Amino acid sequence: MNLEELEREVTRLEDIQEIEDLQQKYGYYMDTGYRQEIVELFSENTESVEIESTGLFLGKEGATRWYLVDDLLPEGMTTVPSWIAVRILMSQDAITIDPSGTTAKGRWNTWLAEAMTVGGVPRQQWVQGYYENEYIKENGRWYFKKLHWNVTFFTSFEAGWLRIPLLGLLNRKDMDAPSPHFHPYPSGYQLPYSFKHPVTGK
Amino acid sequence: MATLEELQARITRLEDIKQIKKLQHIYGYYQDYGQWQKIVDLFSDNGPSVEEADLGVYKGKEGIKRYFIDLLGGGPNKPRRPGILSIMFQLQGVVTVDPSGKTAQGRWYGMGMEAKPTVSLHEGELRQTWIHGVYENDYIKEDGKWKFKKLYFNLTFRTPFEDGWLKVPVVGQHGPSAEVPPDAPPTAYLPYPLGYHVPFSFKHPISGK
Repeated sequence: MNLEELEREVTRLEDIQEIEDLQQKYGYYMDTGYRQEIVELFSENTESVEIESTGLFLGKEGATRWYLVDDLLPEGMTTVPSWIAVRILMSQDAITIDPSGTTAKGRWNTWLAEAMTVGGVPRQQWVQGYYENEYIKENGRWYFKKLHWNVTFFTSFEAGWLRIPLLGLLNRKDMDAPSPHFHPYPSGYQLPYSFKHPVTGK
Repeated sequence: MATLEELQARITRLEDIKQIKKLQHIYGYYQDYGQWQKIVDLFSDNGPSVEEADLGVYKGKEGIKRYFIDLLGGGPNKPRRPGILSIMFQLQGVVTVDPSGKTAQGRWYGMGMEAKPTVSLHEGELRQTWIHGVYENDYIKEDGKWKFKKLYFNLTFRTPFEDGWLKVPVVGQHGPSAEVPPDAPPTAYLPYPLGYHVPFSFKHPISGK
């Protein structure tokens, strides 16, 4: 291996590390309400944000709209009370860098512990879902190009996914289109993989 | 094109991140089984500290031993009480290596399932609980090996399996031990629903702030 090939290999590993950090920092910012910081993680060339049943939000403008309107704010209140909280636990990343080195895709598993109002009532929830995200490298830095979080179940702490797969719908009036991939348990929907089979390559 | 030295430095940084993550993961496996001496040996000899939940700060290698072996372990080589369960997933590690390559910081989520007594650390009825919190740890590279310089776990909730964080955010936390007292009081014991956020050790990837 010559120096040029070695540098390409090192860059690929650095890219994977940087994307992993980007995604996980996004998670910590989400959980602590750093919404403006999140908007800055999105490319000017953002395609879309799709989260649960909130709808499809298009472009950087749509992403900005999604994050700067706090969907956790209960009706009639101006600040989110501290008991309303979300913890997104991210794990199991599979990141694929495009051979061009300028775009990438990543799948993640997530487990969430939440407390918020659902239908005006304080509730605590267990939530599971997957990310299938796209990233883009611009000016030497990785950004989100497309963020898609696909929920499997959104159940009350007390009941569980078999009894209540979906405690409530998180609809947003300001969406650009309904969520194209919202098919929660027990639909049997399988979110397509961005990665290839490591052995067969398919 | 990068020089060989530059590439070596870049590879070293990636290796350091991998090693630190492995250190934290291994710490998690040891803590699951209560292998306290093994955990003590993960710490630097040079001014380490540990602080978890509301138990206060233990300083120096002596403090590390007192915390893990005397307090959590109930004494040297004391067999674990039957029925104790302590599983703590070490998740979402964001590790920042200092440009010197000698120190680093890492933020993690700890999420787990426990069966522990809640009256004291070692006695009383076992309760099954869900636990969550944030780690913000310091690491140091000594003799080519990464070690803990500071282990800090900030508790979000520790709730009975039957109740949940909304109804019972915390059980079984009664402040610093009188028998094995810490060197300093807890720095920020502010569990759910107080809304406390542990400051980030990492920088924003775009703005650098």
